[in-house]
Amino acid sequence: MRKISVSAVLTTATMVIATSACGAGTETQEDAEDYPSQELDWTVAFGPGGGNDIMSRTMVEILENEELYPEEIAVENREGGSGSTGWGHVLSQAGDPYTISTTSGSFLTTPLEADTGWTYEDFTGVGLFATDDTLFVTPSDSGIESWDDWLEFADEEGTVTVGGIGTVNVDFIIQAELAEQAGYEIDYVPFDEEGEMQTALLSGTLDGMVSNPGSILGQVEAEEVTPLLFTGDEPLEALPEVPTPSEYDYGEMASMPRGLILPPDTPEYAREWWIETMKQVVETDAWQQYLDENYLAEDVRWGEDFEDYLDENATALEETLQEHGAI
Amino acid sequence: MDLFSNLLHGIAGVLSPTTVLLLLVGVLSGMVVGVIPGLGPSAGLAILLPLTFGLEPVQAIVMLAAVYYGAFYGSTISSVLINAPGDAASVPTALEGYPMARRGRAAPALVLGALASFVAGTVAAVLLTVAAPAAASVTSSFGPPELFLLIVLGLLTMIMFVGKNWVRGLLSVMLGFAIGTVGVELGGSQRYTFGSTELINGIPFIPVAIGLFGLGEILWTLYNGAHRQERAPVDVRAKSAFWPNRSEWREGGGAIARGAPLGFGMGIIPGAGATVSSLMAYSMEKGISRKPERFGNTGAPAGLAGPEAANNAAATGAMVPLLTLGIPGSASTAVLLGGFLMWELKPGPLLMEQNPEFAWGLIGSMYLGNVVLLLVNIFCIPVFASVTRISLPTLAPLIMVLCAFGAFTVNGSIIEVGIMFGCAFLGFFMRLYGLSPATLVIALVLGPMAEDNLRRSLIASDGSFGIFVSREPSVVLLCVAAALLVLPLVAAPVKRAVGRRFANRRANDSENARSADTPEVEHS
Repeated sequence: MRKISVSAVLTTATMVIATSACGAGTETQEDAEDYPSQELDWTVAFGPGGGNDIMSRTMVEILENEELYPEEIAVENREGGSGSTGWGHVLSQAGDPYTISTTSGSFLTTPLEADTGWTYEDFTGVGLFATDDTLFVTPSDSGIESWDDWLEFADEEGTVTVGGIGTVNVDFIIQAELAEQAGYEIDYVPFDEEGEMQTALLSGTLDGMVSNPGSILGQVEAEEVTPLLFTGDEPLEALPEVPTPSEYDYGEMASMPRGLILPPDTPEYAREWWIETMKQVVETDAWQQYLDENYLAEDVRWGEDFEDYLDENATALEETLQEHGAI
Repeated sequence: MDLFSNLLHGIAGVLSPTTVLLLLVGVLSGMVVGVIPGLGPSAGLAILLPLTFGLEPVQAIVMLAAVYYGAFYGSTISSVLINAPGDAASVPTALEGYPMARRGRAAPALVLGALASFVAGTVAAVLLTVAAPAAASVTSSFGPPELFLLIVLGLLTMIMFVGKNWVRGLLSVMLGFAIGTVGVELGGSQRYTFGSTELINGIPFIPVAIGLFGLGEILWTLYNGAHRQERAPVDVRAKSAFWPNRSEWREGGGAIARGAPLGFGMGIIPGAGATVSSLMAYSMEKGISRKPERFGNTGAPAGLAGPEAANNAAATGAMVPLLTLGIPGSASTAVLLGGFLMWELKPGPLLMEQNPEFAWGLIGSMYLGNVVLLLVNIFCIPVFASVTRISLPTLAPLIMVLCAFGAFTVNGSIIEVGIMFGCAFLGFFMRLYGLSPATLVIALVLGPMAEDNLRRSLIASDGSFGIFVSREPSVVLLCVAAALLVLPLVAAPVKRAVGRRFANRRANDSENARSADTPEVEHS
């Protein structure tokens, strides 16, 4: 794998030298017309089978089936350090339009947590496609049936125990925001994985938790848990009766950005090419099917708009986390 | 009986020439991955999962089940032959299997391991069929307080690893805990990471285990000068060198019978199941053994077979929460869950109702994976066991390369290779000063789990320890823990009394056993 990327860099370097030797302007134009003409190195910053991996593989499948990318695409899982390894690799390929990667929540939170050597600002944003919102649930045997019930319960208890995945993570921020805006106190219990958290909820250790719709809907259908609130802007299609924070006049909740990025200093024509191409990808049935199956809320923003969105979310995340002393 | 017809339908449903081929390919590729030090079942599944994306769900699940068992057995092979366990649950296998291999009993150790896996897999498949719904209700009563107590039970079993030398044992445990504190703690702040991104997820168990056991062992052997000794000449084709002898059968058989139900029971508990079950089986075998001094020394077949059976039954047990509750019970089942999503199946309590042919197909193929594994291994074990005939000066450099390769492959991290080499020296000095590398590794795995669950429990209870006595399952676990602590004190006098009474009979027994054994040269 390394060999390929090295050769890709060398080729690009030679091309850059060749073009600059012949004078600027027109040559770059030619370059832009030729793009893409090489194998693409598609980095997944997490392991196989996870949310990020599934999205990447769906995109690659569409690009291949629709013959949108003329050359080979090599998908490589470069996991480790909560995404820092994979996106660190993308960072090291600065200027190379043949390296690409997908983002998720850790893209914003990992740099807050550790010295990754990169932040979201370093990369060239192609676009945002969807956001991962969460479902707030309580155990069915608690008798809490609506968000109003929950608020009443929280009021009686004084402090409620809620769970989510991780501390420097979107889940914690959502729980903190909900509590703040609705005016109740929480003890937040962070978990490493969904399984442990679900058993904690079912065993009665937690009063409520937030979870990805995809991993909790099975429990909702089996009536093991009751969904009270969906943190997206629009109600979830599968559960239209579950309210969203806007119905309670809460502000917009944090969410996980599902987008696409190129390395720093990638030529503008490459970004343009990807924006045009991805506009076709998001129109396909296969993509819509992917969004439906994974309960993602479509939220399309291109180029600069995507970068602005990242900026806004990252600042909000950082502020909330600092307020609660997590970082 | 309805349930069994479901199981038979499951097996029949997946049985076809294609699936048999997939089973063979899966078992073999799983074994190849698992044999690399450090790559255990969950790594094997993660590496080979993308291969199944092009397959139909049922075919994919057949192949993954085969990979799962293949990789499981692969870790057994590397534990026995080169003392490099692929996951925490294989630590006992390395402790007992490697000494057996050193004295020329590699093939019997591998046969026992394969049979233990097979028998435990069969027992667990039957238990899964019969007891899944009941077991599921146990699973869903295990919150953080219960997990904490369960892990404490696991830690208590380390008393058995430590033996009489408790100061050194305690020191080894503390070292393990200390290494376990590295990384981002539960509240989000960093401990001993020095801002490094490589360390935010902590020091991983795998390079530590490979270094301490695999490479540490090589250094220790070189220091001892054992590489200059001739190895025991073993003819792997001879029947006596392949099949376990009578006393090995007897010890191993009992251990398997005890390990399988224990493992299944622990496996249904998400999070700690497999590791804790294997450790408990080990300490139980050592506890009831007539010759506990052989454990970890010359190699006790019971200490190998019991944990192997428990480990395997726990792997099947972990399917209970996955299938009945949609909750992954182990790292490997979490990877499988990712696969479910990929095949557009909705994990959750209704999975078995909505996709019965899939769920039973999964159980059926896990069973078939076991069968194919046993068949493949009858042919492969002599080949693997031949490794012990290679002289150490030839083998040692190869093991070093394999260890470095394995440490690198898991996360593609060169830092982890560095950790592995560092731990090799740590392992060497631990052996030199009589510390216990096995205890360190177990403390490293269980310590952070215990800490996280204790803190989760206390956050939930506002800092009150009352949470551990106000929940029924917790109280049961506390009683078990108390019994474990008190039992050895009570057991010793009882054992002595019983021992006196049966002294004559036992003498006869061991006399018989000795005459049945083939003469062996001890090389340790």
